[in-house]
Formats: sequence, structure tokens, C-alpha cells
Amino acid sequence: MLCKIAWHNVRRAGRDYLVYLITLTLAVTVFYAFNTISVQVDIAGVSEQNAGMGDLLGSIISGLTVFLALVMGFLMVYANNFIMKRRKKEFGLYQVLGMGRGQVARIMALETLFVSLGALALGLVLGIGLSQLMVFFTASLFKTQIADFRFFVSPSALFVTVGCLAAIFFVTLVFNLRVVSRARIVDLMSASRKNETVKTRSTLVSALIFIVGAAAIGIAYARLLDQGLPYDGTPEGMREFFITTLTVVAGTILFFFGLSGFLLRALQAVRGLYWRGLNMVTLRQLAAKVNTVSFSMAVIAMILFLAITSVTTGMSLADTMNNTVERGTPVDYTRCLVYWSADVVDEMSAEVQAQEAHDAGAPSDAEAVADRSDASRYAVADAPVDMMEAGEKDTVEPDTPEAHPFDLASITGSYVQVDAFDSTPRGADRPLVDLAALCDAVDMPLPAGTENSDMTMLGLMVITESNYNEYLKFRGMDPVDLGENGYTITSDMGATVNDIYNKVLGEGVELTIGGRALRPVQDRVPEDASTFQNAMMGMNSGTIVLPDDLVTKLDLPPYYSYLLVNYAEDVSVEKGDAYINAYRTYGDVTNAEGASIAGWGQEATRTTTYESVDSMNGLISYLAIYIGFVLVVACAAILTIQQLSGVADAGKNYRILSELGTPATTIAHSVLAQQTVFFLFPLAMGVAHSAVALKVIIELVSLFGGLSIGGTVGLTCVIFVVAYGGYFCVTYLMSKGMVRDAIRVRHTL
Amino acid sequence: MASATGIGKHMRQETPAGTSAPAGSAPAAGSGAASRVLDVQHIEKVYGSRNNITRALADVSFSVRKGEFVGIMGSSGSGKSTLLNCISTIDSVTSGTVLINGVNVTAFRPSRLTRFRREQLGFIFQDSNLLDTLTARENIALPLTISRVPARDTLARVEDTAQRLGITEVLDKYPYQMSGGQQQRVAAARAMVTNPALIMADEPTGALDSKNARLLLECLEAMNTSYQATVLMVTHDAFAASYTHRVLFLRDGRVFTELNRGAAPRQEFFNRIMEVVAVMGGEGSDAL
Repeated sequence: MLCKIAWHNVRRAGRDYLVYLITLTLAVTVFYAFNTISVQVDIAGVSEQNAGMGDLLGSIISGLTVFLALVMGFLMVYANNFIMKRRKKEFGLYQVLGMGRGQVARIMALETLFVSLGALALGLVLGIGLSQLMVFFTASLFKTQIADFRFFVSPSALFVTVGCLAAIFFVTLVFNLRVVSRARIVDLMSASRKNETVKTRSTLVSALIFIVGAAAIGIAYARLLDQGLPYDGTPEGMREFFITTLTVVAGTILFFFGLSGFLLRALQAVRGLYWRGLNMVTLRQLAAKVNTVSFSMAVIAMILFLAITSVTTGMSLADTMNNTVERGTPVDYTRCLVYWSADVVDEMSAEVQAQEAHDAGAPSDAEAVADRSDASRYAVADAPVDMMEAGEKDTVEPDTPEAHPFDLASITGSYVQVDAFDSTPRGADRPLVDLAALCDAVDMPLPAGTENSDMTMLGLMVITESNYNEYLKFRGMDPVDLGENGYTITSDMGATVNDIYNKVLGEGVELTIGGRALRPVQDRVPEDASTFQNAMMGMNSGTIVLPDDLVTKLDLPPYYSYLLVNYAEDVSVEKGDAYINAYRTYGDVTNAEGASIAGWGQEATRTTTYESVDSMNGLISYLAIYIGFVLVVACAAILTIQQLSGVADAGKNYRILSELGTPATTIAHSVLAQQTVFFLFPLAMGVAHSAVALKVIIELVSLFGGLSIGGTVGLTCVIFVVAYGGYFCVTYLMSKGMVRDAIRVRHTL
Repeated sequence: MASATGIGKHMRQETPAGTSAPAGSAPAAGSGAASRVLDVQHIEKVYGSRNNITRALADVSFSVRKGEFVGIMGSSGSGKSTLLNCISTIDSVTSGTVLINGVNVTAFRPSRLTRFRREQLGFIFQDSNLLDTLTARENIALPLTISRVPARDTLARVEDTAQRLGITEVLDKYPYQMSGGQQQRVAAARAMVTNPALIMADEPTGALDSKNARLLLECLEAMNTSYQATVLMVTHDAFAASYTHRVLFLRDGRVFTELNRGAAPRQEFFNRIMEVVAVMGGEGSDAL
């Protein structure tokens, strides 16, 4: 019996439940589809190496799902409150007719259950469909071809989705039961009248609040643009940033609190506009509503701001990597050698000695220890080593019958080795050239985020003129001629540091190194001739090129060696990559005395770099779209529910308007205008906040290369606009229906 | 329907299918049409489907001349609300015609009806039906702004109407800040601000105490006498009805009888109304 009543209620209150159903269905769809990511990566044929990225993505997404389910849960509670509010009288009636509270609660629970089950079924069907489609999206994000497409259902995604929905269901249920059990019958029965009380505030006060809010937002913007983000984490910086954040939050709330009053006041001043058609009704209706929803509008504006900012930043980073990867991968394969610095050698040696002392008692190792104990096993290199030669100590496929030395020469067509030196001479404790000094020379502040970076602390790296010219020749570029007293600077980082280098070169700043005054021979950084290794982003943060004899005289210790290799003509990219990617162990790099002087660093083929970029892109895009989409849907759903509740409350007013002879289309326009304000203002505010925040973020991020907004961001925007706009349209169509119904109800005696 | 049985010496008797010509003073057809604001001809309203028919109005005919203040009385279910809804074009008739200022409104398309309602009719309801979000001034101005009357004229006319009804001091208040009587007078002002051909009042005193009811009725009377406003008022309150010039009694969807005030003072007319009410109450099953 209760079941029957509940089922009937759901069908009858279909429209109230519709938003609830749509939102829950969307949540289930998105939850399921995104949680199938690891299966998708599998089907999309993402390479072994990047498949790990899929697993990582999978685990991040399932964690996120729990968080987003929480958000959804509260949204659902909100939506449900709306339904409950409309039906208090009905629940009161059940009780007046002698139904116990428990029974009423059971009806509620059953209703919620029916809708949740409906949403689950619908959402799973859509989600399973969407996940098949998303495989193609995944494939394009990871830039792979789909090897064998097959229909799939992921049990783990199913589990996560059902779990989240169950959690949402129980949260909603608990809140509902509380409403039912707490309410007194008399309140329930008179609920419908009570809801209609209209509070009004002085429009002058509202307008003032609005102006204060707008001013606060303006101040916060100015502060943020002026001070930037507290990237360095200093207490003062954090405090200032906290104040800015507080100002903008307070400003946003005040802004929405006073918005309607301000609009009212402003438009009342324009008589011809205010006293025309339903304009005053629209404004007054807004004013009456904004009193109750201004806070949630502010919250929505902030959530939209977060969604827009994080999505845009993430996607732009991905885009940036995409754009810079071409410049960042000049050759088929690069390998890097890191020389131990004096500090490292001291540290490691001390550690080894401690270990030896500890091991001395162990008889089995005694011989081995004795064998090595006379030589120091770590040393600072005297000169760079030949990397081609050193590489031959690597073993390919060790511990198998096919084990053989790594013969890079066999696949190499041409190669060049670039040896970078530390700019701190042996025995000295300060670098010869560092970023801070260069900044001083051209009167520019030290860029944000570089205070503790290598180029400030360790100084710029140094390479010789002849070595750089070898590199340039290898790259097919014209050599530079430094002459006796020339220098130039290379760097492939973003504009932040390159602006300084460019100014140093452009202004012809004279540097005194090793007692010799040097002048630049180029007027800007040769960005295209500054990349020494394959990487997603710029890695060379500043390398100064000096005359050979000066470098020799300075007695600088080696810092990095880079080997840049292009495959031989008869070696295909696949073959070359396969040879390099085969499993191998690295050999030791030792000096004549057998002491370790360097360790192998990053190596990358052009292909793996591109793949990493693609999978990083995929990762960021997925997370951005997932978070952004769910947040946008949640915001839009709250707005929709508020609007529909508002229209329902104002139904009587619309009926009066109709009886006074207002054409239905005019009433519809008024409703549309109100909804546009409600949907547009939080969005506009969110976009404005984001624009300011992004400007600051871009400044910080451009350190790693120019940040560009476009491409994928555009696509994401389209998705969000469709979601947000979709809710707007649903709201409008449903309100139109509600208004039509309200008008149709005849005035009876 | 037992209209043939005389009820009282003051009553004019009509056959159920009788013409709607009012009191013996019915003018010649030609000139009459011009002075008739409302002409209801044989209207019928049937609700329900084949098996379950409710005849809310059965062959009702009457007319109202310009400047007349006419009351319609009847018990609940007698069809008076349906009648008002049909005249006010909110509801459609099953058959028959309603002429307002000589124009057949039953033949109008919905969009035309809306415009007609806006321009020719004024409404006053039992609950004042003011928009709770608007001030009194804005509520009164509403019909004018909907018709796109220039702001200057609108405000002047609102001021003028408010003065006539003695509600200038509440113009900037919201409905919830006013008394029920004030709300009703604001509603009355809203109904007449457009100078409509016909003002329809549906139980306007129904929710008021006697003092406020009297104030409102005096308002309507004043509107009627000094501004020649034509008023059609549905009521079941004999006291309210006694302010009118003529009362139509409705029973079971038909015009049961009609009472003319003539030159009689209000008290005397009230007594006559009460007599009819008593007879109707005695004969019928419904108490008024």
C-alpha cells in the first residue's frame, strides 16, 4: 500500500522529481564513465610505458569520485529539501488522516528509492554507452590507435558508482527522515502559506551593500594583480594572500546580496524603462528572490571560479607542453650524464666509509672490502668523459643468454656531446655568473619562483665556444664567433627568465669573469639553439657560452654532459627506439683510478617524449573535465532547483498577471529575464574572478614556457557551456510549463 | 425553476427563457445596443463528459447598461462564479454569446481575448490578488504598464485614481504592510485605473470585516456614481448587494429572478433582497 502511494507520488510529482532525476542520472553516467578509465586506456592501446599513467589516472579518479559524490550528496539533499518544502502539506495531510510518522517516513524513503533506482538504471545505461564513446576520446588524447575495439563493462567502475549512489541515497534519506520526524502537523499544514511571505529590504541599503561588495572585489583584484601568488610561502606573503582571498569572498557575497537592490534602484531612476511592460515585476520578483538566494549565488560564483580556473590552468599547461614539445625534442635520442660535485663526493664518501666500518665485521665481504678500501670510490671529475665510450659499459638484457654491451654507435648516424661546466670554479664558493647578478645589471626584479632555483643558487652553466659551435653544426645552424672577449647566453625556458637574458644581451651588459671583461656577441637568446636534451618542457634554464681559453683558465668542474644522437639513415625510428628501450643496466662511469665520477641521468627518445606529453595531456584533460563537469552540473542544478521553486512560489503572481490581461509570451519573457540574471551573474562573476586569477597564474607558469589558452580549453568550454546552458534551457522550459499551469488554474470561489 | 410563482410585490418576474431586457425601461433595440455595456444571450456552460454532465449555466440571458451597478446573488454552486468567468473571458461558454460593448467576445481567439481583457475589463477578487512583491503604486500601475502607457501618464493616472479611492497614503507600501480593506481598495483602484468598460467584482467583500466592507462598497458606489463606471458584482452578502441598482438571483445555473432598486433607499432595498433570499432559501435545499 505504502509502495503504491509512493509510486503514485513519484509519477504525480514527476516534474519536481525531474531535476532530481536528471542530476542524479548525470552523476551516475559521469561517475561510471570516468571510472572505466583504466579499462579504456587498455582498449585504446596506450603503450606499456604509458599504461601506468592510465592506472594512476584510474586511482586518482576513483578518489575524486568519492569527493564529488559528497558534493553531489549535498546537492541532492538540497534538491530534496525543495521537493519536501513543496509537499509539506501533503505529508501533514497523511498524518492528519491517521498515518504514523514512521509510515510517512517510509513513503518518503520509498519515493527516494524509486527515483534513485531510476537514476541508477538510466545512468548506467548512459554511462556504459558513454564509456564506449570515450575510448575514442581517450585514444585521441593519448594519441594512439584503437587496436581491438570491444564492448566492455567495468565491474570496478560499477562498484564505485553503485557505492557512491548508495551513499548519496542514505544521506538524502537521513535528511528527509529528519524533516518528517521533526515537523509538527500544524506547521506542515500551514507550510504553503508561510512560504509566501515576502521580505523586502530598503533598496538604498541594498545598493550601498552592492557598491561596497563591488569595491571589495575591485580591491582584491588590484591586490592580487599587484602582489601575485604567494609562491614562496613566506608568512607575510601568505597573510597578504589570505587577506586578498577573504576580501574577494566577502566582496562576492556582498555583491550578490545587494545586486537586486542595486538593479532596482538603478532602473527605477530610468522611469521610462521601469514603468514599462513587466519590467518592474521582473525586477521586484528578482529582488524578492535574491534575498533568499544571494548567498548560494555567491557560493556558485566561487565554485564556478574554481572550476574555470583549475580547468583552464590544467588544460593550458597541457597545451603548452604540446606546443613546446617540438622545440624540446631536437633529436632522435638524448642522454645525460651528471657529474658529482665536490659536496656530493664528500657526502657519498662519508656514507661509504660509515657503511664499511659497519660491514668490516662481516667475514664474507671482507675480501671485497679490502679490494676497494684503498681507493676513494667517489671523486670529482677532472674533465668530461666521452659518453659514447662510457655508454658501452651498459649491458642490454643482462642475466640472459643474449646479454651484450650497449652499442649505441651501431644505430647512430650523427651525434654531438655537449659538456656543461659548473660556473663555480674548483675551490671557490660563489658562482661566477648568477641570475640575481644579471637582474641587478639590467635593473629587473628577480622573477617570481626563481629565488631558490639553480640559476640563482648555483649560477648559470658554462660551455665552451668550440663545443657550442659543434652543437650548432650538428643542429645545422650557423656557428657563433665570440672572439677574444665575447659571450652569449642560451636558454629554452619561458619568457620570465628569457626576458632578463634578452635584456642583458640586448643592452650589451659587460660581465667580468676571470678578470676578463666580456661583451655579448648576440642581442637575444637563441632559443631554438638552446635545447640539449629531449624533454616535455624547457630544461636549460641558462647556459653561458665563453671562449675556450677562458674556460680552461677558470678551471671549472664538469657539471652535465649531454649526448644528442640522430639515428643512422638505415636505422628506422622503430628499430632505434626498440634498441634503446630494451631493458639494460647502466655501467659505472669511473676515472682512471676507478672512482665513480658521474651518474647517468635522464635519457629520452623523441617518441617517448611525445608519448609522455600525450599521456600527461590525457591525465590533465581527464581530471579537468571530470572535476569541472561535475562542479558545473552541481552549480547548474542548484540554480535550476532554486529557479523552479521560485517560479512555483510566484505562480499566483503570474496568474494574477494573466487575469489582468498580460499575454502569456510577456510573462514568459519576464521569467526568462529573471532566470538569465540568476544564471548569468554567477557565471559572469566566476569568469571575472578566473580572468584575474589566470592572469597571475599565467605569469607564474610562463616560467616553463609560454602558457597559451586555446585548443582543448575551447572544447572543454563548449562542453561546460552545453551543460550549464542545458540546465538553463531545462529550467526555462519547465518554468514555462509551470507558469502555463498556474495561469490555467481558474480563479474559483 | 418556479419563477411563475409570485414571490413578492416588488419582484419582476421572468420566464426562464425570457429576454434579458431589464426593467420595463428597456429601450428600442437600436439605441439600446449602444448603451448596453454587457449583453449576455442564452449562454450555457456544461462541464464533464458524456456520462457525467454538470450543467453549470443553463440558458442565462441578461444585459447591463452603461453606468449600472449590478449585483449577482446565489448560493454556492448556483453558477455565479462560472457566469463571471464566462463574461470575463477567463472561461469559455458551451453555447450562447456574450457581447461587451456590442462585440462578441465568445468568438475571440485567445491572443485577442487577452488584449480585450486588458483593455475593456477590470477585476476585483475576494482576496485582493495584489502582487506581493510590488508596492501599491506598482500594483495599480500594472495594467497600464502592461498596455505600454507612457510612464508619465501611468504615474499621473495612478495618483489620480488613488486620490479618488483615498489610498494615497499607502501607495508606497507593500501588500503585507496594508490592512485587508486597504488591499481591497488598492485592488479596486487597479481595476478602474484603465477606465474599463466593465468592472467585475467577485465577492469583493468576502474577506473583509463589516467596516472595511462598507468602505469598499462606498468606494464602488462612488466609482459608479461619479465616474459612470459600470460594475458587475458577484456576492452572497445581502448587505453588499444592497449597494447595487439591480440584483440578479441565480439558482441551479438559471436566472431565478431579478430585483430592481429603483429609487428606493438602501435600507429598503436590503429588506427586499432579504425577502428573496428567504424565499430562495426556503424553497431550495441550499441555504444562502
